[in-house]
Amino acid sequence: MGPPSFPASAPSAPPLPATQAPAPAPTATGLPIAALGAPSSSALVSARHVAKRYGSYTAVSDVSFDIQPGVTGLLGANGAGKTTMLGMIIGLHPIDSGALTVLGQDPWNAGADVRERLGYAPEHHTLPPDLGANDFVRHIAELHGLPKDEATTRASDALWLVGLGEERFRPMGTMSTGQRQRVKLAQAIAHDPQLILLDEPTDGLDPLQRDSMLDLIRHIATEFGIHVILSSHLLDEVERICDGAVIIGDGVTLAAGSLDELRGSGTIGITLEIDGDDTQLHAVVRYLNDRGLAVTFDRRRITVEGDDERVFDLARDACAAVGAGIVRLNKRRLSLEDVFIERMGG
Amino acid sequence: MSDTAQIYDQGYRRYEGERTGLTGAVRTLITHSIRHALGIGRSAKFKTIPVLVIIFAYLPAVAFVGLAALLPEDLVAEGVLPTYAGYYSYVVGAIYLFAAFVAPLLLCTDRRTGMLGVYLASPLNRVTYLLGKALATLILLLIVTLGPPLLMLVAFSLESVGPAGFIEWIRVFLQIVVSSLVIGLLFSSVSLAVAAATDRWVVATAAAVLIMPGSAILTDALVYGAGLTDTLHLLNIPNMPRELIYRIHDEARAGSGSPLGDASLWTEREVSTWSLWASWCVYMTATIGFIWFRYRKLLVRR
Repeated sequence: MGPPSFPASAPSAPPLPATQAPAPAPTATGLPIAALGAPSSSALVSARHVAKRYGSYTAVSDVSFDIQPGVTGLLGANGAGKTTMLGMIIGLHPIDSGALTVLGQDPWNAGADVRERLGYAPEHHTLPPDLGANDFVRHIAELHGLPKDEATTRASDALWLVGLGEERFRPMGTMSTGQRQRVKLAQAIAHDPQLILLDEPTDGLDPLQRDSMLDLIRHIATEFGIHVILSSHLLDEVERICDGAVIIGDGVTLAAGSLDELRGSGTIGITLEIDGDDTQLHAVVRYLNDRGLAVTFDRRRITVEGDDERVFDLARDACAAVGAGIVRLNKRRLSLEDVFIERMGG
Repeated sequence: MSDTAQIYDQGYRRYEGERTGLTGAVRTLITHSIRHALGIGRSAKFKTIPVLVIIFAYLPAVAFVGLAALLPEDLVAEGVLPTYAGYYSYVVGAIYLFAAFVAPLLLCTDRRTGMLGVYLASPLNRVTYLLGKALATLILLLIVTLGPPLLMLVAFSLESVGPAGFIEWIRVFLQIVVSSLVIGLLFSSVSLAVAAATDRWVVATAAAVLIMPGSAILTDALVYGAGLTDTLHLLNIPNMPRELIYRIHDEARAGSGSPLGDASLWTEREVSTWSLWASWCVYMTATIGFIWFRYRKLLVRR
């Protein structure tokens, strides 16, 4: 089963199975967007009611958030406005209204000063095919203000760091997607930026490469103090390595804050994973339904609303009654997926 | 452990030094673009075209310098060798082939490979990016527009058949520099404008190669074939700057009729010098305007 991701069209919530109960309301949904005041001076990126239009098309209509140090996920379905937002953070396009500061400066007016301290890894993989990875990374480091000798040394260091030390002189056209993703990460960090923006850095990677890339991004943030904005439509990877998240849908902020703030501290039910066949699974579901509990299930995993002692006891009793083993029985916390579904549906 | 032992950490580390800023970024872009166009750091097949064009551009100059050394001085003084302005007649094809090859390589490739988005995420913006690319194209063209006449000037001077006296030498030197800039800037801007119109560098190169002789054939047909006004000569993209170079070197043809040998292309009566300068300015403004129009709101692939 693939990682949970956003639905293709932003406004509609993912379809729920017929047996599923409505998604529970999150106990906390991050910072109240409407209550955000003036742009925060402590935030790396601070947006207030940012809007951007291209002719009659509104790409972003009202985005407000503060991105704090650490790793922050910029989440949204395709077309939600993530890439437009990244473009405005880099200073590629001016905002039409609202206020946006990046590292304390207006990215459009102070473009060169801001971009010198930013690293950026684009989403696409079509880098110059005949150029060696080392030449490419060195060139980008020089563009960001490093003297030639320093850029040469640091390009090599960055490529070693991302695991391409032995491959660093290879033309990028001969590299795999995973290797090109690493080259893009290396060029984003080689000039020692304060903040890097990674646009879908795991796109095209297999599960092992994806895990490795996520570990690397987390390592860069924690070991070298480089703050990261990770644009992604994959909820679980953001949940895995990010400290905070901004969720954008249809050009507006749906939720923003630290992951703890977004998910809340409370639980929203229990998760029960059984060792049994479909008949036993349905029997357990029926047993719990008959006792007035809202139950959803997916393969062998059953989600039950409520987390008091009685629910745990009933889940245990249901398994015992139908002769199914218990693989896992634990409290279930609100996930980013729940927050997203609630916000989109709500 | 000795007192002089040191630990060298080769891992990733912070950079605390000075940064070169926007000027450094533009300089880097120019250097990288020139290296890319000349095939430096790339495989041999990428070096073939630039090396051949440069050889073709310098070959006549080397031949004339050799002839100047071999021929008797009085024969050289009679003008059997081409003038500095006349030299462009031999190499104008090589110059515009080089322009048609270089400009699309520098602009189209960046859009096609997504490098434009990477560049615009650096201290460069659209204006400084285009400025860097234009300067790189001009510098590359100066290799073939400025280099050969300068070679001739220096070699002729060493062979005692060059300009007489220091003042005259400086005057010719400046005429060569201005001439090479006139033709280099015009061919750069035309080929960059063609490159701005499409993402495919092969299409842009083919279009740029066809536009220049195409405009020459068309205007000659209209003026000499259909008998229309001589002013239409100004639409002749390869010949217009060549004629301007003759005027810069004070070598405008006095008589009428078809050009012959090393004489300038058109008389002052057919096409005035001020109209040549005016049309050069119009070409420059139009092509720069078109490039900016294409890039101003170009949706950058990210």
